[in-house]
Amino acid sequence: MGVGTQQSDFAEFYRSAADECLQAVLVSVRDRDTARELVDEAFARAWASWHSVRRHPAPKAWVVRTALNAGISRWRRRRREVPVSDPARVTDLPAASGESASLVDPRIMAALMRLPARQRQVVALRLILDLDTAETAEVLGIAPGTVMAHLGRAMAALRHDLQPELQQENRS
Amino acid sequence: MNDTELRTAVRESVAGIHSATPVAQIISRGRAVRARRRIPAVAGALGAAAGTALVLTALLPAGHAGPPSGDQELLPSGHPASRPVSVRLAAWTVARQANGDIDVTINQLEDPAGLQATLRADGLPVNVTFSGSMLSASCLPYQTGPVNTLRSVTQIRGEVLVIDPSALPSGAGVAIFDEPGGGLPVLSGNTPTLGAPQGRPSLPPLLTALKGPLAVGLVYASPQCTG
Repeated sequence: MGVGTQQSDFAEFYRSAADECLQAVLVSVRDRDTARELVDEAFARAWASWHSVRRHPAPKAWVVRTALNAGISRWRRRRREVPVSDPARVTDLPAASGESASLVDPRIMAALMRLPARQRQVVALRLILDLDTAETAEVLGIAPGTVMAHLGRAMAALRHDLQPELQQENRS
Repeated sequence: MNDTELRTAVRESVAGIHSATPVAQIISRGRAVRARRRIPAVAGALGAAAGTALVLTALLPAGHAGPPSGDQELLPSGHPASRPVSVRLAAWTVARQANGDIDVTINQLEDPAGLQATLRADGLPVNVTFSGSMLSASCLPYQTGPVNTLRSVTQIRGEVLVIDPSALPSGAGVAIFDEPGGGLPVLSGNTPTLGAPQGRPSLPPLLTALKGPLAVGLVYASPQCTG
């Protein structure tokens, strides 16, 4: 594959996958700037290893896994975690160019942010990135059964959090 | 709210978030990633050459951004600071490919320290031993679970062990050792035979080499284990 073909091939992948990967990582790490930085770094590494990443059965999963690993490495280096006082803080961040923060549903985002980290990761991969259970298990390095358990608990928690508001909306 | 409605709501809740980084910026950053990988490889290999009678040769120019070349041959050395480095001994051969992969061919179970030093000089967190298990108090198996994680890092092509350092999970290193089946789950060829022995925790899968009693697995990277 020539350099030009490689670049256009990667560019097509980036255009098709960047948004979903960013959304998935955002739900996992809860901070938009951090998510954007991690996803950019992951895509840069994907380009640097494009010869092998393009043959990966789920390149989007590779990118998200790389981004999450980069986040862990960063956390280990800094040995501290950025506190998120308000679970819905992610929706308050300034919108990037061409992006409206109002497009993010604050109720659902807040409910997502209240989930434990592993459940958020499972939700991000299964529901946003649309990976199947086996792929999600591989990305997170856990058993498929554990993925299903986390997803079930996350869905139950989200339903519990969102149901009263939705019922109230329906009544009004 | 049923599952489908909830899934839809979650997806829609983040649908307005878009990446604003131009692809050109990503590619530029990717070039920097490639460049970073080459610096320790060249510097480390030059250091190894000072202490041993290793043969240093150079491959493609550093600026080469073309496709990977799995069958390239060793070329006469040029400017060492701009080219990936290969080391060739009777016992083993290490060849850094232009795409970042490291090809390791082991012909004899000799000089594990030299092989380890050469691979570490290439920026790979690695532990090599030809005289026992990789397991020790300071060298623990990486708990990845799926076989595919190991396969994404290491592949065996013919008699060559191909290692992709960029695919290593964060915090993981590679262990090359000579104790297949020594109480560990072993992956032979394409058929995984998983299952830890009784009384031992579940361990990650290992990949046996096609020739000889060699095996390769993932371990937690640490200064004591992988340098």
